[in-house]
Amino acid sequence: MSQVPTSIDFRANSQQVPPKMPAAVQKATAKFLGNRAALVEALGNDLWQTLRQAGHDLRLHAINHLDHYLEQAERQVTKAGGHVHWARDAEEARRIVLEIAGQHRAKLVVKSKSMATEEIGLNHALESAGIRVLETDLGEYIVQLKGMGPAHIVVPAFHLSKEEIAELFHEKLGVDAPAEAEKLTQIARMKLREEFLAADLGVSGGNFLVAETGTIVTVTNEGNGRMCCTVPPVHVAVVGIDKVVPDWESLTVLLKLLARSATGQKLSCYTQFISGPPQTREETGPQEMHLILLDNGRSRILQTPECRETSICIRCGACLNICPVYNHVGGYAYGYPISGPTGAIFASQILGVKAAGALPFASTLCGACNDICPVKIPITEILLHLRHRVVEGDELEGAAAPYALRMGAQAGAVAFGTTWLYRFGSQVLKRLQAPFVREGWMAKLPAPLDRWTTSRPFPAFAADFRQWWRRRSR
Amino acid sequence: MNSAREEILGKVREALGRRPGTAVPSVPPSARVGPRKAGDPEAEIAQLLAEIGKLSGATRRLGSQDDLRVALADLVKAEAVTKATLWTTPDLAAWDVAGTLRTLGVELVSPQADKHLVAACELGVTGVDAALPETGTLLLRSAADRPRVVSLLPRVHLAIFPPRALQVDLHQAFADAKDAGYSVLVTGPSRTADIELTLTLGVHGPKALYAWVMNEP
Repeated sequence: MSQVPTSIDFRANSQQVPPKMPAAVQKATAKFLGNRAALVEALGNDLWQTLRQAGHDLRLHAINHLDHYLEQAERQVTKAGGHVHWARDAEEARRIVLEIAGQHRAKLVVKSKSMATEEIGLNHALESAGIRVLETDLGEYIVQLKGMGPAHIVVPAFHLSKEEIAELFHEKLGVDAPAEAEKLTQIARMKLREEFLAADLGVSGGNFLVAETGTIVTVTNEGNGRMCCTVPPVHVAVVGIDKVVPDWESLTVLLKLLARSATGQKLSCYTQFISGPPQTREETGPQEMHLILLDNGRSRILQTPECRETSICIRCGACLNICPVYNHVGGYAYGYPISGPTGAIFASQILGVKAAGALPFASTLCGACNDICPVKIPITEILLHLRHRVVEGDELEGAAAPYALRMGAQAGAVAFGTTWLYRFGSQVLKRLQAPFVREGWMAKLPAPLDRWTTSRPFPAFAADFRQWWRRRSR
Repeated sequence: MNSAREEILGKVREALGRRPGTAVPSVPPSARVGPRKAGDPEAEIAQLLAEIGKLSGATRRLGSQDDLRVALADLVKAEAVTKATLWTTPDLAAWDVAGTLRTLGVELVSPQADKHLVAACELGVTGVDAALPETGTLLLRSAADRPRVVSLLPRVHLAIFPPRALQVDLHQAFADAKDAGYSVLVTGPSRTADIELTLTLGVHGPKALYAWVMNEP
């Protein structure tokens, strides 16, 4: 994802999903869900539910007192010798990174996986300024070579086969590689090792920001996160203001929930805690540390109490894995780096319903996401609120749905709410459809309803429920 | 810059209906379970090493200085170590890890040397500041005698620590670690499943993790 999207057409995107995507998605999600379930079982469901509730309460407490904890985090980072910057929007955040890069005459930037930097389109901005920027998470590295964004927030390149990756490495890196995961990983290690050592600037996100000590927490498996925050002379962390947690005691709960929910690990391989730059030269590590606190619409999410819990997400990806819609279309259809149910509620508020009003409808409202969410976000309730915002508007935004849809919805409400009109309408429909019905199905409908029948027949309208009920009661 | 700060904090306060400096209620309980009770020390060590083993780490329980010498000789041979870098903590000094490596013909590189030189080491030796048996996790703090790059850049990471490093859980480990400027939890060697979900060890961090519990120096 190189640029910030201005309009998302989920329907059109989902029609362009490659045929092999659903199978690849389902293979991955089934594996993650299986690993997760085994660990939850080992822990015991009672304990797991206790942890979920505590995770929810702790995160919501932090969000409900966000100004207090942000100020505390800022004080602590500054005290530790780090530089704190505030960015109102994507443009401001990009400018701050570019300024830091400029001060250090940076030519090469290495990045560890960060959804916040995807959100602000950082790579594109750096490249436009003539700075080379490399994604270093293996999956992100692969999709970057391919010129794409992440298809999943935890495993960005899971939809590509090892043959495709071998071909990509041949084409872009000029190396002949056998199509084996092990060999391909070693090639990426070798290539990126040189880049880590040569990089002028390391950019990371942050899974959490601990207010108590101003500590940036990153959770990774590959070690690239450690590389980006240790090897280059300057470290810049771009962290959303909603990532704050009060203290280390709260962090214990969230770490237990995160790794289990994301990849089915008790703890991820490397969990890193960074409070400012190193205090002594002997410690090794970057000489300078910058924290960019990114708003970019997050403060707006807080305005609607019904939607506020959007902000407590810990980005584990479990709701993507369980979602029947995500499992059929994969990440790209959402047109945003954060996909799935949590992406749908986040993106439609960050971008606004004019740009992303399609996303709240990209759900069956089955509620599996609510049940699996480790911090108990009521995702479907928020989706419903956002659907309401799209169609009728609310105190925050005007309606975004086309006039015809709004009129249609209102007409439907009148028809279904008025007994005589409903009965009259059903009789009329039954007569009108008669010439087109063959064995209970209609093969073609007149425009504009033919959009349905281009791909499948439409069931004939039976319309005799009242009659059927009367007969049945006799 | 400041205006951005004021504007963001202002918007947050307005959305939450809070005034600057308003008191914050205490943090909700953290579902602290237990506290977990540590069992018999040797059983705890066995559990720790078993968990690290499950994550493809190589583990040993060592007693005497001779055990350590033999184990180091094995490792140097198995991993074809020619250059190593290490922490300068009192434990590693008391066990004379540096001296032993030198007698095994290994060249020692200062962790503060140029990063290319450190990255060329096959082996980095550290202690740990805490070890958690439940998850097979090692906690490494950063300090002048504990440089960060030692456990990161070399191909093999060896952690040697005494039984007293074992702690019951994250709560206890964090109580000490939270005031460190930098620390990292290491749970097994570097890994990825980014290519077709095939588990592969050694992406960017060390390819191999050795964890040895050694009796007090």
